[in-house]
This record gives sequence, structure tokens and C-alpha cells, in this order.
Amino acid sequence: MDFYAALSLLRMLVLDTGASWVRMFIALGISIILSLILGIYAAISERFGRIIIPIVDIFQTLPILAFFPIVIVVFVGILPGYIGINAAVIFLIITSMIWNIIFGVYESVIVLPSEVMEMAELYGLSTWQRFKKIFIPASMPRVVQQSILSWSIGLFYLVTSEIFSTGVSQYKVTYGIGVFFGTIGSSNLAEYLLGIAVFIVFVIATRLLFFKPLENYFSRYSRQQSTSAGYLRIHNIVHAPIRFIRKRVTGPTRIQDMGIRIGRVILKPRLKKNEPKPIYVKRKSRTGSRTKYATAAILLAVLIILLYLYPQILPYEYIIIVNLAFSFARVWFAFLVALAISIPVCVYLIFMTRQTSKYVLLFQIIASIPATILLPLIVAPLSAYQYGAEYTAFIVFFLSSIWYIIFSALGASKAIPNSIDEVKNIFGVRGREAWQKIYLKAIMPGLITGAVTAIAAEWNASIVAEFFNGSGNISSAICPSITSLSAISHFTGSGNAVSLGIGKLLDISLSCNNITLMLIAIVNLSVMIILINIFVWKRLYNKTSAIYR
Amino acid sequence: MEMINVENISFSFEDGITRIMDGISFNVEEDEFVSIIGPSGCGKSTMLRIIAGLIKPDGGKVFYMGKEVSGPVRGISFVFQDFALLPWLTIIENVKLGFSLINITEEEKNRRSTLLLDSFGLSGFENSYPNALSGGMKQRVGIARALASDPNVLLMDEPFSALDQLTADTLRSDIIYQLKNKDLPVKSVIMVTHNVEEAIELSDKMVILSAKPSHVKEVINVNMPRPRSKRSRKVAALMDHIYAELAKD
Repeated sequence: MDFYAALSLLRMLVLDTGASWVRMFIALGISIILSLILGIYAAISERFGRIIIPIVDIFQTLPILAFFPIVIVVFVGILPGYIGINAAVIFLIITSMIWNIIFGVYESVIVLPSEVMEMAELYGLSTWQRFKKIFIPASMPRVVQQSILSWSIGLFYLVTSEIFSTGVSQYKVTYGIGVFFGTIGSSNLAEYLLGIAVFIVFVIATRLLFFKPLENYFSRYSRQQSTSAGYLRIHNIVHAPIRFIRKRVTGPTRIQDMGIRIGRVILKPRLKKNEPKPIYVKRKSRTGSRTKYATAAILLAVLIILLYLYPQILPYEYIIIVNLAFSFARVWFAFLVALAISIPVCVYLIFMTRQTSKYVLLFQIIASIPATILLPLIVAPLSAYQYGAEYTAFIVFFLSSIWYIIFSALGASKAIPNSIDEVKNIFGVRGREAWQKIYLKAIMPGLITGAVTAIAAEWNASIVAEFFNGSGNISSAICPSITSLSAISHFTGSGNAVSLGIGKLLDISLSCNNITLMLIAIVNLSVMIILINIFVWKRLYNKTSAIYR
Repeated sequence: MEMINVENISFSFEDGITRIMDGISFNVEEDEFVSIIGPSGCGKSTMLRIIAGLIKPDGGKVFYMGKEVSGPVRGISFVFQDFALLPWLTIIENVKLGFSLINITEEEKNRRSTLLLDSFGLSGFENSYPNALSGGMKQRVGIARALASDPNVLLMDEPFSALDQLTADTLRSDIIYQLKNKDLPVKSVIMVTHNVEEAIELSDKMVILSAKPSHVKEVINVNMPRPRSKRSRKVAALMDHIYAELAKD
């Protein structure tokens, strides 16, 4: 690659990445505004909160990317040309970004001390004044922290949706970093690496030039800030107490907030001991899983009614369930591997090095490189092997999930009671006993919440992990025999394809314009995820939170 | 016999400039109950952690039965202000942590833990989790755990300050009763407190620290007979004296 070619490539890359970033900023802006409205309203109106919070909870774990095909169809149908497809991409990013910001706002408002509300009452502040003077400022620190997390999640969706939309020529954005990665293939390593470099520069620049100033500005509103004081000096025989003091004093930073939040919910650490009693707390516990059950029941009912009304779609149901089973095995295998690796890593970082914040920043940058970007790089070399597509799928699934587990565990570690290390050292708890009684149990809440998001991320990735067609179109040859399992399993497209899998099925049904199949597949997938959330994760979560509280 | 010698301890904030302790020395004899009192921020809790070997001082040394303390020591145990129970372990599991360094069988650990919990009025709660207990009960578990490790010296960091007045009073008299039990190996106790009344009630010796950078202002031997009523003239006079000392900073 000569100099001028490189320069023009660079120009193109900046243009592509810039276009992607414009979409990201629009999506983030809309997400924040909607979150403020929904989150605050949910916190101040008991009835609305009881409905919206469980719904947000569900959406947070649904594979929204699976809805992307439908979103494209709808938006392109309504809006002309490239506006429609851009709207679809932005909509998709919003659906990935918004949920945790809503939670952040909701929780910021709900823990406001009742004195603040009494003050507002006494001085007769109007609704608008309460928003402007109380609720929005109280929410902003968390909004910024959550936005940083949302940005990483959004990047994954952005790139994936751009790559994905290039797979089907009629639905395609023109500029975008995902488009670049989707079309370049693995043939040109230099171009590919340059693309990654530009992407990383954008990621770091956004973090430092956009989020950092916001963080600094709004940190003054944060109620934890006031405790700042100097911290003690460490002379390492035993680092624990001081490190804990230091953590306490400097307070939580940045993206770990999600984990901290989760940890707080579960562990209710002593940090808040002296804070005044929050206003709406009583209600919070009541907005339980009833709505979740209801949603699962409704979706199940819809499925049954559909099958009853249209018995001809029964064969669809059959192939969907078989495909789902294959994907399930892949997703959970990758998850278990990720778990097996992240547990020792987290224990080492949390309990041995105590340097979690340093690593978190590094991990943030690595994690914000979406696993799907790697597809062009790994598909071609791996496809030379037998089961190459399976390896590809495993790599994408693994990379989509491991960071969520690690972030969540590291974040929640901030809520681990301060004196654990002192107890460990005073009583000389070591070796197996320390693992059994301290390490594993201490990171458990973080692992549980991390697991939910990690698995959701895997399902989201399935749409590209299990079938990646590069720039080619999916041949319509498969469409007539779409209800045949063997036809699907032998269909390979022009790129990477596993034998059977729900992601592959969704891709094929989209390119065959078989919306019915796609819809039923999505309903099946959603019902399965919600059921697992209710009966596995929610249960584990409740069990631990009852004890850890 | 001297159990603990604190020799010329100094300590600074991490910035290296703000000194919080400046040449603190005192010692603790066998069968002595010593309280450390001082204004808040003078490093009382840090002092206790230095004695426990959890924090290393900038200068000076701590000796336990003549041997220098350079890390946590088998014969020294600790009661925490915020109880420091592990929320995910049952009460009995929490107490059993205290036996970690003691080489006995699991059954023996269970037997001794049950006995300890019994003596603190906690039988029946063995399999509860800490969060199901009241503050006073949690601190009883904390003390039971500290005693489980067979300590000769017991360090207590404001053990009653997270409790309400009534609970603290009851627990305090329970503790005194327990510590009189000659079966226990505990020979000496060092307690950090900001409650002057409590210190007078319990102590054989009081170490009064100044504001930071703190040094030892005065060591008072309390030779009054127990129980000490706070209405007695002697106690009141001592209290006035200590408050006056503390107010001088």
C-alpha cells in the first residue's frame, strides 16, 4: 500500500467512522432525553413505575438485534431510502443504549432523601421546577456514568447492524465503520488493521474528550463527592484496610458504576449507613416479577394462538425449536468457558492485585471493540477447517460475553464489605477456605448479574456469529425449502455458516422475505430467554440478595 | 508481664506530609484493660490496626510478648466497629473463620463455635445469616469469632459505637462478664473508643491521645473498685478531667 493509497484509505475510514459516530451521538441524545422522562416519571408515579420498570428489566435482556430485520423492514417501508435505513440503525442503537440509563435515572430519583421532597412541597415548586432543580440534576451523574457503558454496548450494535445491513444489498447504509469491516474481508490485513486503529482512536477520543469533561462537570452533583479526604499511605505488608479506605474515599468511578449499582442492590454495603432514608424505597420492592410472569404468559399465549389459528406454521415451529436448541448449546458452552476464565481473573484482580480500576479502563477499551469486527479477519482462515464456522461462532460468542462478566464482577467488587481483607488477615483465612468462603461468594452477585447481560449479548451476536455472509447476497435458492432442516443445515451461503442455529435461521428468513417465520422465531427466542431469566437468574438473584443484603 | 509494647509509633497520610501520629508509646500489661481515647481523626483506629499488624507504621515498633509485630499475629484478635461479618456465611460459619489458624477437626470447630455462640446467648441462630440479626447480636457474633481464635490480646475498635445506647449498655456488661471468665485465654484488652464514660467504666488504664499529629497526652491508671457508677464523685471528677484535657486542643 503506497502512501497516497493509505491516505485516501484513511480519509475514507475517518468518513466511515465519523458517520457511525454521528449515528451514535444522535442515538445517545435521544436515549438520554427519553430516559430522563421515563425514569423520573417512573420514580415519582407509583403506578407508572410499577409497569415500566419490569418492562425495562425485560427489554434489557432481550436479543434486540434479532428484531433488527423487522425494524429494517418497518423503517424502510415508512421512510424513503437512506433515511429509512439510518433511522433503523439509530433506532436499534437506542434500543441497546436506553435501558440502563433509565435504571440510572430511576434509582437516582428514588433514593433522594424525603427531606428534598418535603422542601419542594414547602416552597411550592411546580412540576417543571422540580424536574429542572431536583430530578434532572440528581440524575445527571448517573446518566453520564451509564452513558459510558451504553456507548460500548451501542458500538457493538452499531457495527453489527452496519455489517449486517451490508449483507442484504437492498437494505444498506452507505457510510459506516461496520460497512468498511463488512466489505473488506480478510484479504487485506493492512487495511483491516488501519481500520481497527482508527476505530480505537475514535473510542479513546470519545472517552477522553466527550465523556471525561461531562463526568467532571456533573460529578459536582454527586452526593458521594463530599466525603473526599486525603488517604493513608501504604507500606505493603497488608494492603487491605488502606485500599478499602481509599476506595471508599475516592468513590466509584466511571463505567464500573453499573456493577456497583448491581452490587449495591444486592449487598447494600455500609457505605450508605448514614444517608437519610430514601423516599420511594418501600414501593420498589413491590414492583416484583409479576409483570415478568405476565409478559411470559402473554408471549406464550400469542404463540399458542398463532399456532392454533395458522396450523400451517407448525412446521416452522418445529424447525425453530431445533435451531434454537443448537444455538442454545453454543451460547451456553461459550458462556461457561467465559465464566471459567473470568472467575480466576476477577478473583486475582479483586483480591490479589487490588488494582481493578486500572484494569477496568484497559478492559473498557478492549471491550468496546465489538467482537463482530473480528469476523472478516477470522472467517476466511477458519473456514479452511472442518467445523470452521463453529469455531468462528464460538469466538464471537465468547468475546461477546466475557467482558460483561468481568465488568460486572469487578464493578460489584466495590460493594464487597470493607473489612473482608482485615478479617481474612486477622484470622489467617487462606487457600481453599478463602476460595470457598470468601472469594467465590464475594463475587457471586456480580457474576449473576453479569451472566444475564453476557448471555443476552451472545443471543444478540448470534445473528452474525452463526451466519456471516460477507458482502454477498444470500442466494434465494434456499427459500422454497426453508422448512427443511437438512436444506438449512447444508446451506452455507458465500461465507460463514454453522449447520443449524437460530441466528442463521433469522438471516435466511429475512433474505427470503419470510416475515412470518422470522416473527415466530423471535417470539420463541424471547419466550425462552424470559423463562430462563425468571426461573434461573431471577431466582438465583433473589436467593443471593436475600442473604447478601 | 508486658503483653504489648508500643514504641515511638509515627504515621502519615499517603501524601507523606500530613502526620497523624507522632511518636506514640505505651504498654499493656497482663490482665490489663486499656482504652485509647482521643478526638476524632487522631488515628485511634489506625493505631489499633498497627498493633494488629494490619498496617505498617512509618516509624517505631510494636512488640507482642517481646516479639516484634510485622504482620497479623496468632495471639492477637480483633473486634470490628462495623462487625465485619461475611454476609454470605451463616453465623456459625462466621465464627468458624476464627479457627482458621488452629489445627482442629471440623467437628471440634463446630462444637467450640456452638459453645461460644451459646455463651453469648445466640443458640438457635447458628444457621441464620448475619442480615437477619440485630446490631447487638451481630457484634456478639463478631466477639465470639474474635474469641474463637484463642487470643491472648483482644483489640476492640469502637465495638459499641454502631449500636444504640441500650443495646450497647447490655452488651458492655455482658462482655465484662465474659472477659472475667478465667477459661478464656484473653489476658489483655485494648479498646479504642470516643466514649469517655465507657472508657472509665471498663479500663484499668486509659491512654489519652491529642489531636493530630497525635501524641500521648496522658496515661491514667484507673484504680477505682468496680462496678463504677458514673454518679460517684471520683468517676465524675475523672470524667471532668479527661474532658478538659480533650478540649485543650
